[in-house]
Amino acid sequence: MKKLVLGAVLLGSSLSASAVAPGGPGCGWGNLLFEGSSGTGAHLLATLVNGTSGNATFGMTSGTNGCDTSGTLTYSGKSLLAMNGVLEEVAQDMAVGHGEALTALTVSMQIDPADRAHFDSVMHENFTHIFPREDVNAAEVMDNIQAVMKRDDRLARYVS
Amino acid sequence: MIAVLLSVAVGHAQPLSVRPSEAQFAGMAASARWQALLHINQGATLRGIGHSYVDDNDFFLAADGATDPVAELRASWQALRIPGSPVRCRFPARYRFLAEQLGWQAHDPLAQCHEYRQWREQMPTGQLVLVFPAAYLNSPSSMFGHTLLRLDATPDPDSVWLSQAINFGARTDGLDNSLFYIWRGLAGGYPGRFSVVPYAEKIREYAFVENRDMWEYALNLDTDELDWVIRHLWELRDINFDYYFFDENCSFRLLELVKVGRPQAPLMDDLRFAELPVNTVRALYAANLVTERRYRPSKAGELEHLADGLDARELAMARRLLADPSLADSPAFSRFAPARRHVIAQVAYQALRLRHRQGPRDSANARDGLALLRIVQRNPAPPERPLAEPPAPETGHDTQMASVGLGGQDGTGFAEFGYRLTYHDILDPLAGFLPGAGIEGLNIRLRLSEDDGLSLESLDLVNIRSLAARGAFVKPTSWFVHAGLEQAPVAGGRDLATFIQGGPGASWNWGGFRPYAFAVARAETVTGFDPDLALGGGTELGAVYLAPNLQLGASARLLYFTDDFYRLRTSVTADMPLSTDNAVRADCARDTWQGQAVNSCRVALRHYFN
Repeated sequence: MKKLVLGAVLLGSSLSASAVAPGGPGCGWGNLLFEGSSGTGAHLLATLVNGTSGNATFGMTSGTNGCDTSGTLTYSGKSLLAMNGVLEEVAQDMAVGHGEALTALTVSMQIDPADRAHFDSVMHENFTHIFPREDVNAAEVMDNIQAVMKRDDRLARYVS
Repeated sequence: MIAVLLSVAVGHAQPLSVRPSEAQFAGMAASARWQALLHINQGATLRGIGHSYVDDNDFFLAADGATDPVAELRASWQALRIPGSPVRCRFPARYRFLAEQLGWQAHDPLAQCHEYRQWREQMPTGQLVLVFPAAYLNSPSSMFGHTLLRLDATPDPDSVWLSQAINFGARTDGLDNSLFYIWRGLAGGYPGRFSVVPYAEKIREYAFVENRDMWEYALNLDTDELDWVIRHLWELRDINFDYYFFDENCSFRLLELVKVGRPQAPLMDDLRFAELPVNTVRALYAANLVTERRYRPSKAGELEHLADGLDARELAMARRLLADPSLADSPAFSRFAPARRHVIAQVAYQALRLRHRQGPRDSANARDGLALLRIVQRNPAPPERPLAEPPAPETGHDTQMASVGLGGQDGTGFAEFGYRLTYHDILDPLAGFLPGAGIEGLNIRLRLSEDDGLSLESLDLVNIRSLAARGAFVKPTSWFVHAGLEQAPVAGGRDLATFIQGGPGASWNWGGFRPYAFAVARAETVTGFDPDLALGGGTELGAVYLAPNLQLGASARLLYFTDDFYRLRTSVTADMPLSTDNAVRADCARDTWQGQAVNSCRVALRHYFN
């Protein structure tokens, strides 16, 4: 169970909270966006002094940068997905068949290193089941990943 | 874990109630670790030597703690010896210091610190890595760059997407867009703070949004040394430092943090004016802290590499697919072999993401993105072509430059002496630098001539040039800005002009050969000449050739001025590296002004140093 929660956490949702769309309207496949820089001055300054925006900068506070993660236990106090488009990166890795973001998912789901290549290929084969629509959200993706894993002999044990 | 570490006590076991002698306090306060924990300036910068860099009363327990490390140690002892004290939760590294020095024996001394313990559990403690995001496309000022630290769960982690980044930056809440804020950033008007954020966020920020290559340097701090760093990091939560762009910047602060882990490391023994990230990397190498270096290409770099593997027909198909992914069902696309379709669709997908990396995404490009990924997925991948790693930034030439040269101008000989504070022009030796990006600050040339004696030939205050090549998918606008003093052709000869010039342009990359075109605007004033302020506009056309062992440049700049005169300057330059920090440069120029012309040629030895 712990493994599952960890995996869910990585994708910015939790099993118990999956009834609530994680991240709200600011999150999800269709809306993974970077907040555009707000003008030349801001950009130059950010370049010169590497400015931090000051909110949520110590890995403990709950992140609300574009995504509401209230009530959700998240990786490092923030939804990784909400902050930086991990879902999009995971999608690309699954389509290609491997990648660092996908590996991060296996690590957080505590999948044995010996099973990782197998996990990668199962995810690759089932890409269209896991990402069925462009507006799929993180919770659905997590559910889909679990459903696919349950049907696989080697991966079922990680979701039981 | 914490308890285990604390049981390794160095001093003689001493009850908490026994007050150390004044000599003992003084001795402990002088130790490198205590000095590091308080961020005492050991002479690395000129402001407040012997005082703490921390600019925040919350960091000190003694009233004069910022200036008196012994007083701060006494006050720390007073507060930290009390079991159950909340001060222990604020200063877990100081607690460890005192417990080890005085041999305090306690079972679970931080039991009451729930918040700290929860945070501590989340912090990976396998490996500390210095991360240097290199200069990014079309932003030469980013050469001054940034560095951050990364904490990995294990040495050689499976995925750094799960690591934590330690960042030091100016805190700029409530920022408006005024240039005034930039000045404040330079002059120390902002407080600087440490932050800890998921590293995945930084990958996105640098590699994806800003298109910077990232260099990652694994450091050999062991678990015990990392424990010091992480405990101290907690002590720095919400603590303000002054932030100065030139010296007390992110790179400087990170060195201080490494020193908390290994106080004896010779990282800050010299004066460090204008701390540049590349020198931070060099300092870590010199202190034998670096075990491994890794290269992480930017997304634009990855795309370029993928696109390089396509032939012209495939590239054209990728462009069409990008415009309309439904072409995947067309016969034109089906004619390609499956492995080629995979790469074509991948190129189109990455180009789509790059194009929409900023600003809100709409459902149309999300739909296109998914459609392209499906093509990628259903066509098996060919074997990957490895991406060649460029020379690392620290292998490049040093930051300052001195030159000496000889030349002639219309038959009169001269000698020339130059000094440049910082950093790189486009024709300087290329290794370790982004091709086509140059930034120079305070570049001065003095000329000793047979006829005129010693004179100022030129003084560049700032000279930034970005020849950002336009590719199949990325279409940046090149630009330059140049301001300072220079000898300009005026009636009857040459005179010193104060000028500023710049403009937008375009540049292309044809196998190391980079042609460019700029629109140019210039304002200048020459004392004693009318008009007081001359305004001109025109164009500059040129090309550079950039190779590891030779850099060539040729240009022609034609300007018409409001006062109805024109100027044409043509020049050719060749620069050849002799070693990492030495080069020889030869150039010839012809300045034409209302039918008169001045011709000059020179050759100079250029030496780079820190």
